[in-house]
Amino acid sequence: MFEHEGLSKEFEFVTKESEIKHIGNSIQNTSLKMQTIAFALIQGDQDTVGELTKECLEEGISANEILDNGLLNGMSIVGVKFRDNIIFVPEVLISARAMKAGMAHIEPILSESGIEPQGKVLMGTVKGDLHDIGKNLCIMMLRGAGFTVYDLGVDTSPEDFADGFEEYQPDVIGMSALLTTTMPNMGRTIQYFEDIGLRDDVRLMVGGAPVTQEFADEMGADAYGESAVDAVEKAKELIVLLKDLRD
Amino acid sequence: MKTMTKKERVFNALNRQEVDRPPVANPTSVATVEMMDLVDAPFPEACRSAELNARLAATEITEFDFDAIAPYFSIIQESSAIGCDMQWEQKDNWPTVRMSNPIWQGSSDVKVPKDFLEHKDTKVIIDSIKILRKEFGNDIPIIGKTMGPWTLAYHVFGVEKFLLGTIDNPSETKLALEKLKEFTYLFGEAQIDAGADILTVPDHATGDLVSGQYYKTFLQELHTEMAENFKVPLILHICGRTVDRMPAISETGMHAFHFDSKNKPEEAMNAVQNKIALVGNINNPETLYSKNTIEVKKEVFDCLNAGVQIIAPECAIPLKTKSENLIAITEGVSDWLSEHNKN
Repeated sequence: MFEHEGLSKEFEFVTKESEIKHIGNSIQNTSLKMQTIAFALIQGDQDTVGELTKECLEEGISANEILDNGLLNGMSIVGVKFRDNIIFVPEVLISARAMKAGMAHIEPILSESGIEPQGKVLMGTVKGDLHDIGKNLCIMMLRGAGFTVYDLGVDTSPEDFADGFEEYQPDVIGMSALLTTTMPNMGRTIQYFEDIGLRDDVRLMVGGAPVTQEFADEMGADAYGESAVDAVEKAKELIVLLKDLRD
Repeated sequence: MKTMTKKERVFNALNRQEVDRPPVANPTSVATVEMMDLVDAPFPEACRSAELNARLAATEITEFDFDAIAPYFSIIQESSAIGCDMQWEQKDNWPTVRMSNPIWQGSSDVKVPKDFLEHKDTKVIIDSIKILRKEFGNDIPIIGKTMGPWTLAYHVFGVEKFLLGTIDNPSETKLALEKLKEFTYLFGEAQIDAGADILTVPDHATGDLVSGQYYKTFLQELHTEMAENFKVPLILHICGRTVDRMPAISETGMHAFHFDSKNKPEEAMNAVQNKIALVGNINNPETLYSKNTIEVKKEVFDCLNAGVQIIAPECAIPLKTKSENLIAITEGVSDWLSEHNKN
């Protein structure tokens, strides 16, 4: 399938037709080096990812190419494996750590390049919830996909989200929760935005292990991100809708 | 069949024996803001004062007519006594550990503080159990709670660091868990001495975070050992999707497993093959918190039709859950029983 045998085996975990096409096409014509970066990222091999990224940049390969053809291709397969319960959070965390090792070389170049971001996203874990792994994975994926992301951290009250909105003027606000006991605070935040008249100015997205589409709908959210990969797709869709609305 | 006491009912259910009616009990918590107002025992004080704690815990019997009392409302009492950075919150939010400021780096740091059982936040539960035992006598079962080593590891090492460690250095993870289990034993035994009839052991190796294989690799042996050593029935609690690890859990010798609504009652019953009792699994955020009594009763029926032995919310309930939805759990059991007896 691909030049890199290990990556070809990893690709066997991608079983949805649309994803086979999308991810397969994205990997198909990439160099062996890009495929090696993607494979090392899936394995969570931070040293190899860091070293190869540096080497590629020194060879004159663009930061965007390494990001798209190496790191994000690897992360797409990680996202699929995570969603399909083939791997779990520890395995995602070591891949995320490997991605970070690559991004350490790429990020300074991308931010100097002045490329227009996909959009602005404000992220936070809701009030009473101090879990941040899911939120941090989303932030990493969103940044990798070209969004500017502002992180409010954990235990974020409705008022904090509103202050963050005033300060950063994001297109999308992403709320995360790990606990069933704190999930209702997503609804309270959405209601707070209604109460202070800001609800129509921003799209509100929710996600987290116990959150479901049904719950998101009941709370009045604009989108539900089932996983970090899905959150990126939903954020892109929301930005398009918002642009249409503004035009 | 003669009417059983609440204790007989719960114990029979835990032993998968016949009951006069299926018991209702939440081995985690039924503390709500409504009840805090009713008995003037608000959070966080009700988590830190034995008298207020017992008063709020008693509402499980006096207001909801459940079959047991569980006075430990959160998952942080031991962690506070160990010295974790705490956020005590207000009446409408749970106290939590600030896990981004972990207190320990690795297994060599794990040491039981001298005053662990005399610390305000462990003593409150021990003293509350004594008060409740005195007040309610021996016919009402009291469910204590002692955190398992996996949950404590999240608190003392931080979730991300601990989970990364399971891949980077699994032997070190095992050593840390082995040392942390001492807290589980100490606090659990102190609650038994104070009068607890049953212990819940929350140990959040949830399918939302780790694989079923993780349960086998890191926890099954420790839980089996706990089931052998504690002199009271144990209820293991793990949130999230857990059906992949239920067969392993059912082999531990624990009396019951408290399971989440992410697992359907029938599939859970099939997974455990009658080797362990099941407690659960009324959905919290979508049903108890957001819906009405009809929907609550529907889920009660689903559990009873599947054969779940003890009917309960899936986890500690959201603090703003309406009382009528909690009362509907007990009513749902009565409705099911009437229908069942008619047929």
